[in-house]
Amino acid sequence: MLSRVADHLYWMSRYIERAENIARLMQVSVELLLDSVAFGSQKSDEYWTPVLAATAMEGAFRLLHPDPAPGDISHFLTLDERNPDSILSCIREARENARTVRDQITDEMWAELNALYLLVSSQTGVELLERSPQSFFEKIIHSSLQFDGITAATLSRSEGWNFLQLGRYLERADKTSRFLDIKSQHPNEPDTAVDSLQWGTILRACSAYASYRRVNGSEVTLEKILELLLFSVEFPRSVRFCVRTVDQMLHAISGTPTGQYSNKCEKLTGALLAKLNFAAAHDVLEHGLHEYIDNLQVALNEAGQAIYETYVHLPQEYTKSISTSFILDPIGAMQQQQQQQQQQQ
Amino acid sequence: MTADGSVRPYYQPVAERFSRMSPEELEQKVRSLELLFLKQGVTFTVYGDQRGTERVFPFDPVPRVIPNHEWEVVEAGLIQRITALNLFLYDVYHEQKILKDGIIPSEVVHSAAHYRPEFVGIRVPRDTYIHVCGTDLIRDRDGRYLVLEDNGRCPSGVSYVLENRAAMKRVFPQLFGSSGVRSVDTYPADLLSVLQYIAPRKTAHPVCVLLTPGVHNSAYFEHSFLARQMGIEIVEGRDLVVIDGFVYMRTTHGLQQVDVIYRRIDDDFLDPKVFRKDSMLGVPGLVDSVRRGNVALANAIGTGVADDKVTYAYVPEMIRYYLGQEPILDQVPTYLAWRPQDRKYILENLPNLVVKAANESGGYGMLIGPRATKAEIEEFRVKVETQPRNYIAQPVVYFSQHPTLVDGTFEGRHVDLRPFILCGETTKVLPGGLTRVALTRGSLVVNSSQGGGSKDTWVLAD
Repeated sequence: MLSRVADHLYWMSRYIERAENIARLMQVSVELLLDSVAFGSQKSDEYWTPVLAATAMEGAFRLLHPDPAPGDISHFLTLDERNPDSILSCIREARENARTVRDQITDEMWAELNALYLLVSSQTGVELLERSPQSFFEKIIHSSLQFDGITAATLSRSEGWNFLQLGRYLERADKTSRFLDIKSQHPNEPDTAVDSLQWGTILRACSAYASYRRVNGSEVTLEKILELLLFSVEFPRSVRFCVRTVDQMLHAISGTPTGQYSNKCEKLTGALLAKLNFAAAHDVLEHGLHEYIDNLQVALNEAGQAIYETYVHLPQEYTKSISTSFILDPIGAMQQQQQQQQQQQ
Repeated sequence: MTADGSVRPYYQPVAERFSRMSPEELEQKVRSLELLFLKQGVTFTVYGDQRGTERVFPFDPVPRVIPNHEWEVVEAGLIQRITALNLFLYDVYHEQKILKDGIIPSEVVHSAAHYRPEFVGIRVPRDTYIHVCGTDLIRDRDGRYLVLEDNGRCPSGVSYVLENRAAMKRVFPQLFGSSGVRSVDTYPADLLSVLQYIAPRKTAHPVCVLLTPGVHNSAYFEHSFLARQMGIEIVEGRDLVVIDGFVYMRTTHGLQQVDVIYRRIDDDFLDPKVFRKDSMLGVPGLVDSVRRGNVALANAIGTGVADDKVTYAYVPEMIRYYLGQEPILDQVPTYLAWRPQDRKYILENLPNLVVKAANESGGYGMLIGPRATKAEIEEFRVKVETQPRNYIAQPVVYFSQHPTLVDGTFEGRHVDLRPFILCGETTKVLPGGLTRVALTRGSLVVNSSQGGGSKDTWVLAD
């Protein structure tokens, strides 16, 4: 497979997964405050602040809105084109990556993603979000899950599949860990109703509520939540499950037996997986949840970077001999040249 | 329709089917066609803002029907023409006999913008230059098909032919049953055979790729569509690398040698070492690899000298010279501004002529005299006087109209036809082609970039 194609597939699924996670986090947050305050009001923005932090876009938001008005945060996270990680931007990016590698994905995959893009970028999408934010978020989540299902049912299990899974599971591991971190950044009032309500929110944001209840009943403890969201071997959104999938996919791509490594990304992922395999919730709590998650995020980022370096990045000796350093806007210049090509229409 | 207003016999089934549909049913069918194209992303890009806007190519549901006896003439005429053009290109890049014999003035060739003197004496695989050609035809008032122009560089539009047919089958399945419409489905397989036929390495599975300018190009949908249909990789310049005169593509498992490149970028941008130095779309060293015969390009470099609008005027002479035949298809009389008497005639008759830039396509750089303002005519007068090599003029041909659905009723609109010709081991013409329709009443410009739409084109089997 072309390296560039692998990169597009990887980012396509990463962006879909990202949109889904932001949508789910917003959905449960709306649920949480639905009774007390209206969507988009001043009060609701307070609820959104941790959500903003969990998407790692707080800095960008403060730059755009030094003095935020009611509704700014929710708009920023949903349909703001200036936010590269808004739901709209994620879906647009996913769809643009899909359009570029349209020949590599199935028609059914394309149709699902394109339909979602057409919806969120249309007036209908704007109205749906205003009228019924819950339906809007539900639509995003379902469409992402549908896309995953369509992919599983229609795409050959060749390299393209592996790169799609890499993107999806790395992104999922990242988001699950970030959502856990929401709690550690906001001083909790242990053993209160508010506290368990908030933990319920995080479980739901990770689509883990039912799984948690099934294993642990109604008792909500931090340790048990960590066991499920970080270390479960069965729950498909736990960090360990995600990293294990990434590890499997990397070995499927290179053909190296599991337990060994042939490149940097296999080495990093294998080491991370081993750590997760042999850790438990109390280790995390000893360490401090926030610090633990920080380290986890660093490891996930390094794995992503190593994938890029191993499979996508142009080795130095083959890079172009043309000098583009004098071009002020190389991306714009390239777009312009692409457009200039006569297609004798 | 015929002159007396009756429906031509081969249109009978289509006319009947459409007359049975209520306006509501028709409206609903048209909407579902549009939705189908939008959902499948069958779009082209209109430039303007940075991102470029994707549009659905407007589609008219009333098919254009061509009876077999008419098509046989068109097909024979196109094969004759492309054969002569390929012989001409070979000649121009080798002995230049046609110039030495004075059939075509050598200035015509040497001053053509797309002539590549660097390629004189370089052999190309199978001596074929144009492998894919899209020739624009119109019908005049007498029903004759005339060649309007040959597109022998990167003709586009074939994806719409295939997508239009697929959409028609889905939305009007009943229309097809008894009509005996010839299939267009084999095009991608035929194109792939052409590419494999010119592979320099004689292996069982030569590696063919489609070289696209990238996702921002207006025809990217088509590039990706064709690559998918042929099962080959679609590559950008940055995916390819030349090492020791061989071309490779960069894959997740290292470098893989490439044998044939179906390129959809202009000559100028192919190789920054040889042509435009600022090209970010090309592959440094590609031209050298072509010269050494290590990789084949479709179409070959330098074919633009054959679809130059001044060269066009000489195609009938070419056919007589190389093939010893009379042209089967006529073409539009052409005045060349660089010939003094012609220029005088053009300048005296600007309001009655169509003036075209010699190297433009897409309906750009064109003056339609009878529709032009005084200022536009004066602008072209200056252009013709100062750059006579770059302009030609033709009488206005009021080419045929075809019933077209406009706001729920059927009205006549001007149409042309672009059949696609493939030259490999044999020369094949895709039965049908892209019928482009000028959706604006009275307009003669059918280009998608300027308010044109398209129709499904049916060639009947008997």
